[in-house]
Amino acid sequence: MNTRTIRVLLVEDNADDAILFREMFRKEQPGSFELAHRERMSDAVDYLTSLPVDIVLLDMGLPDGHGLETVRRAHAAAPQVPLIVLTGLDDEDIAAQALKDGALDYLVKGQIENRALPRALRYAIERHQTQMETEKIRNQQLQLKDEFLSHVSHELRSPLTAIYEFVSILTDGIAGEMNSEQAEYLQVTMRNVLQLRSMIDHLLDVTCVQGGKLSVEPRCIPIADVIAEAVTVCQASATAKEIALALEVPAGLPRAYADPRRLRQVMINLISNAIKFTPLRGAVTVQAKVYDANPKFLLVQVADTGCGLSPQDAQHVFERLYQVPGSQAARKGLGLGLYICKELVSRQGGEVWVNSKLREGSMFSFTAPIFSLDTLIAPVLRNEEKRSDPIALFEVRMRPADGWLTDEAREEAALQARNLLQKCLMPALDVLLPQMGPASSDEGVFLVMARANEAGATVMSKRIREQFARSEQFARTGLAFSVSYSLIKTAPQDVHAPMEEFVRRVASKMQDRINAMLFRSNGNEQ
Amino acid sequence: MSNKKILIVDDDPDVRRGLQVRLKANHYDTVFASDGISTISEARKHVPDLIILDLGLPAGDGFAVMGLLQANDFLSGIPIIVVSARDRFANKEKAIQAGARAFFQKPVDNTSLLAMIRKVPGESQKLELPLVHDLGEV
Repeated sequence: MNTRTIRVLLVEDNADDAILFREMFRKEQPGSFELAHRERMSDAVDYLTSLPVDIVLLDMGLPDGHGLETVRRAHAAAPQVPLIVLTGLDDEDIAAQALKDGALDYLVKGQIENRALPRALRYAIERHQTQMETEKIRNQQLQLKDEFLSHVSHELRSPLTAIYEFVSILTDGIAGEMNSEQAEYLQVTMRNVLQLRSMIDHLLDVTCVQGGKLSVEPRCIPIADVIAEAVTVCQASATAKEIALALEVPAGLPRAYADPRRLRQVMINLISNAIKFTPLRGAVTVQAKVYDANPKFLLVQVADTGCGLSPQDAQHVFERLYQVPGSQAARKGLGLGLYICKELVSRQGGEVWVNSKLREGSMFSFTAPIFSLDTLIAPVLRNEEKRSDPIALFEVRMRPADGWLTDEAREEAALQARNLLQKCLMPALDVLLPQMGPASSDEGVFLVMARANEAGATVMSKRIREQFARSEQFARTGLAFSVSYSLIKTAPQDVHAPMEEFVRRVASKMQDRINAMLFRSNGNEQ
Repeated sequence: MSNKKILIVDDDPDVRRGLQVRLKANHYDTVFASDGISTISEARKHVPDLIILDLGLPAGDGFAVMGLLQANDFLSGIPIIVVSARDRFANKEKAIQAGARAFFQKPVDNTSLLAMIRKVPGESQKLELPLVHDLGEV
């Protein structure tokens, strides 16, 4: 039995209620509770940050705080201390929300029986301790597992590197010509090496999923290009099984807001799965269109004439490590591919699901949001006070000195540029826009939207120039850069339009300006 | 014109050998180091046009090596390409910050690596060699 004194902080502005609460502890053993009382949230936060407290009793209607916000403030001030919220009779919905914001429990004023309060506090502290311990153990285990997986995938990669290198030396003919039989056997070796590599990549992706570190960088992309690329990658394995791999994507689909690398990964995963489970001379069809059920999304579907899934299996295929029992083809994998697909799709704001019939085939579908400039810029336009401020659109253009860059170098330079630009931005006022043109033409163009007038924009473009000029890392990329901006003025009728309409008009003006920038040919610049 | 010289740093002899064969076939000369300390001494001795650097090394890992190379006027101009089995998400940016021109994860796609090798030395801002030699002998 815990005989230690429980230190309670009561945060309550109503003097009568405070007296009532004190009264409730009177019958407890002397020394079992110690009650401190504060009337204002600011005082309570001071107390919490300076003195030890075992549990907080927090009234949600304080003079210097509003409902849920007080809960968040108290929780932020002392995240380790359990918090019980006191609410009025009509606020149970808010109380339920408070539980999500860090409160451990809530009590309804006027419904607390005398002896119930101390008991509730003891119980809450007990429960909180158990929770904290469980959480701690869980985190330790997760971390251990992450370290283990990361270590294993690293250790597996090293010997694989040597195997890959020497097999490719042979297949590339560097060590002399081979006869066709030898070449064929080496192709088999290579195929399996690549499979091993993708399994190791999956292992690492899964560690990232669980650590919340799976990186996704959405941009404005033509989805058709990514799909076509994935189909090309999978063509060879389809041909080997004489499977007809068809691509049905209408021209003029709206652009998606997605990470092209990750989208490609999802596509390749779904298509190679379809090929794997489809018998000789079957068919795999890839389709994309605007999603009828929600026109803000694109729908991509991969249909096969393969073995199909039973309803039970269809329910579980997206789970981690799930493999269809008894399936021969499933043997060649870890059961992580679809799990990663699901994570990647949902991290980009979409959904993934499967429709399937045993022995007839499966159709995997996923959605990806359609790119919308409105949604992206709306948060910075919502500040009413700044409504009439002009908007500056900055264009930072990078060019290689001799006109050619490897993909790696290009990615590198983009990473550097993004970091530098982030340093110049004010989070609530400026937006670094995602890249918007076709991948080949605009890799080197970054656009920033800022609330600024002529003077502000001049200062900001100077700041951007300095950041780029000063950066040694950027200098190492060997790229030249230029910074320019143009102002978009808000017309009086825009300023007085309803917010949604205002956002829409600004977005449309910006889009025109962006199109003009992106499609201006490089040669016209000085 | 003489071949470009590349210093291959990896603690795995098979990986070193594989890279050597690949690079020789593409007309590069190669020299080797297998740990952090010998990387610095080999770099001093051969003044390579490029260093291909692993991160997980005995006696000073790749980051320590890059720190030492960058701090040395004689060697800081030599471009470095990191080729590592370590997780690219966690290490790529760190490697670039430390002075690498590029980060490749093992196993490396040979076409991109060779493209990068061809590309990189041309951009290098190496100091004038005769002057550097004078300094280096001190």
